[in-house]
Amino acid sequence: MREQDPYQLLRGRTESVDSLVRSAALEYFKGKFNPPYVMAAVGGYGRRELFPYSDVDLLVLTANESDVPAFREPLSEFLRVLWDAGLRISHSVRTPSECYRLHEDNIELHISLLDLRFIEGYEELFRRFSQGLPESFRRHAPVILRHLVSLTRNRHSKYNNTPYHLEPNVKESPGGIRDIHLLRWLSQLLPQQEFLGESLAELTGKDSAQDFLFAVRCFLHNSAKRDANLLTFDMQDEAARVLPTEPTQPEEWMRTYFKHARRVYQCSLRALEYAEGQDTSLLRQFRDWRNRLSTPEFTISRERVFLRSPGVTLRSADAVLQLFSFAGRHGLQLSWDAQRRIRQEIRQISESFRKQPPSWNAWRDLFGQPHTALALAEMQETGVLTAAISPWQSIDSLVVRDFYHRYTVDEHTLVAIGVIDQLLAATNGGQQRFHELALEEDQLPLLRLALLLHDLGKGITPGDHIQGSLSAARQVTQIMGTPQEGQTAVLFLIERHLDLSLIMNGRDLEDPATARFLTSQVPTQEDLRRLTLLTYADISAVNPTAMTPWRLEQLWRVYALGLEQLTRELASDRIHEELFDGNDPSSERTLAFLDGFPKRYARTHSREQIEHHLQLAVQSKKEGVAVEISQEGGVYLMTVLTHDKPGLFASLCGVLASFGMNIVKGEASSNAESCILDLIRFTDPLYTLELNPEEVNRLQWTVECVVRGSVQVSDLLRRRRPARRLANDATIVPCVRFNNEASDHATLIDFVGEDRPGLLYDLASAISAAGCNLEVAMIDTEAHKAIDVFYVTRNGGKLEENEVEQLRANLLRAAGQT
Amino acid sequence: MKKIEAIIQPHKLDDVKEALKAIGIDGLTISEVRGHGRQKGHKEVYRGMEYQIDLLPKIKVETVVTDARLDEVTRALSAAARTGKIGDGKIFIYDVLEAVRIRNDDTGEAAL
Repeated sequence: MREQDPYQLLRGRTESVDSLVRSAALEYFKGKFNPPYVMAAVGGYGRRELFPYSDVDLLVLTANESDVPAFREPLSEFLRVLWDAGLRISHSVRTPSECYRLHEDNIELHISLLDLRFIEGYEELFRRFSQGLPESFRRHAPVILRHLVSLTRNRHSKYNNTPYHLEPNVKESPGGIRDIHLLRWLSQLLPQQEFLGESLAELTGKDSAQDFLFAVRCFLHNSAKRDANLLTFDMQDEAARVLPTEPTQPEEWMRTYFKHARRVYQCSLRALEYAEGQDTSLLRQFRDWRNRLSTPEFTISRERVFLRSPGVTLRSADAVLQLFSFAGRHGLQLSWDAQRRIRQEIRQISESFRKQPPSWNAWRDLFGQPHTALALAEMQETGVLTAAISPWQSIDSLVVRDFYHRYTVDEHTLVAIGVIDQLLAATNGGQQRFHELALEEDQLPLLRLALLLHDLGKGITPGDHIQGSLSAARQVTQIMGTPQEGQTAVLFLIERHLDLSLIMNGRDLEDPATARFLTSQVPTQEDLRRLTLLTYADISAVNPTAMTPWRLEQLWRVYALGLEQLTRELASDRIHEELFDGNDPSSERTLAFLDGFPKRYARTHSREQIEHHLQLAVQSKKEGVAVEISQEGGVYLMTVLTHDKPGLFASLCGVLASFGMNIVKGEASSNAESCILDLIRFTDPLYTLELNPEEVNRLQWTVECVVRGSVQVSDLLRRRRPARRLANDATIVPCVRFNNEASDHATLIDFVGEDRPGLLYDLASAISAAGCNLEVAMIDTEAHKAIDVFYVTRNGGKLEENEVEQLRANLLRAAGQT
Repeated sequence: MKKIEAIIQPHKLDDVKEALKAIGIDGLTISEVRGHGRQKGHKEVYRGMEYQIDLLPKIKVETVVTDARLDEVTRALSAAARTGKIGDGKIFIYDVLEAVRIRNDDTGEAAL
């Protein structure tokens, strides 16, 4: 059922136009016009690639400039005849010397001469002119190359440097026909570079990319009856029906399109890079400094990663992943040779991923890099992403027709991850708040993994893509060895990834019921932050203009609303119901322990963690206190269970301050039996614990003594150098807000200020000194900003107005603000 | 002919679209806009800090109708957009000199 062979069509049209041009030239020039002239074809016409409705580009050559005025009248008649014949002529009149001269403001002239072809006129003039061209090209090659590269880069940039548009332009899009032209021109300007000729041969042979793209463009022209190159959805439907030998589904036919476009684009990028490398300027010097990042496994040269021992690296899935992690760490693409080797070995690599999948640590490392999106794009282009994550195949080059989306599903996913990478790296204006939010996120690998998997369902269960994505995500996270908590977080994000958009657009944000609804769906601050960032990335990746200031503001309002509500619920939303199986005898003891803790505690801790805390609580009843200090990466976690008493939290903070520790996160609350559970995460800026492991035991012992009352915190702190006070040039002015409406029985205190060692001790001491009881505390640090939430009571109730003002002054003084 | 321009709460857009569709009004133009009325925006709280939102996100709905249908459409739109709270928005009505359908050069009410 295929339409006519495109090459036959193009040759046929070229020959018929040749015939028209020749006969018109004979009628209006030959014999009537003495000075020598040449009528030559340039551009696509010169290449004998005249598409059905393409312009016809003519060059009229005269021997001397003085002959030009005489040409005007016959030329005008000549052109009229051709226009009347239905041709769109684009012409210029030049002399050979004009053509040899460099025209930096009209490089297109020189490029068009690369495709020069004689039609009619004085052959001797043409022969002499053609003989002079190679020298002209050689002389002007650096400038022509520079402009050609610049024009191409600009063109690619107009299409966001991706071929994966839902409705691509078969001529101009990256990976389109123009990129094949680029290779042709570069191979003529740089004839010594064999790889250019090889790429061109690959792309223009039988059943090649050119074959496919030419057929598409001919079809588009004939369908629209004009020079139309946009492969719209309607055209895709029709093309899928008539172009292949058997009709096929448009989605499958477009996958073939993207397969070809991908290859053309890759070849054009390689050619562009080579052409840019001809520039021996400062850029090259800048690129070469990166060579210092080379390792025993990988070399860096000219901003690309080379494999030192491909046979070794490509043998194991772990090593392959390390390669891409390296690329993601430094923001470097693989060398063309490395890409070629990987493609050649893809079957073996696939087997490695299947038989010995990489560990979760290897995946976590990949997803934790600053340029994860670039690394994943490299994996995509080399086929490794499908080898490593088999459900990815379902969305590879998948077109899902949507008015708003610009890209294929896989491209949208990678763009979304790129949005997160960019958000972390820099900020501009309206994105500042989201930039800071991204900096707070300490589980970026999970966020990026959720983004990677969130739309897999569009290729699996298109009617309900969330279910398809969840099912695929369960399988993928299982194979990756993602820990249970991480898997739960990823699945949660995928399941809820449309929720915030729905609330933004469909709910009254000023109605308190909206906030309550939001927190019923998104129960913790951590989930809310990740979901907000995921939504930000998802919307931004729809198309370059999707994240408007309007949507940015709405999304932020939803986030702020949710955060405020969750903070309010810390004190009011307590566990009072059965959470575990009523038939399990141990559940009664667990329930008694949980009774009265904020619901957040049950939402953010696994059953195993809760059981462990219960064991510590039992121990604390016997010994007065239970303290445990563990290390999680670069951060320590101190868990303390004991009976509540005044000033306890301040004392714990004071002990840590006396050891020089810096508290970065913390949660403190008590249950109905007044058993307090304090979870304090801290860092050791002076490496005291790391260099002196026995100090961990001493710290633990000191905490126990302070809780029991045998050691006073004030004595410990007296022996230490006073903590650094707020410097005059500190960037964050402390701010304290009191809210007596947030909770039924406690006063909410929000504190934001410059973080420093000992700050929390000073704040907690001020609260304690005011006779207040700390009901719940949530401590967080973002870079150098301390963000603390306290729910306090005094004499069993909220603070009075005068107590609020006094405590405000004391807290500001404690923070160093006089 | 009259042009109706309504500034409404974002979450009322679906209700307004349904209401207009129900009375046979299919031609709409929707824009995302920001603005405020007499209340000059409002205060919101983030991390203990109060900040003023001066320009609140709203939706602008525009449609052109015949003079005969003006009241009916305005009432339907107003009823669908109403929550009864400050911030519900406003409707403005303009005279339209002429309308032209680009596809076939229909003019006047035939172009609507």
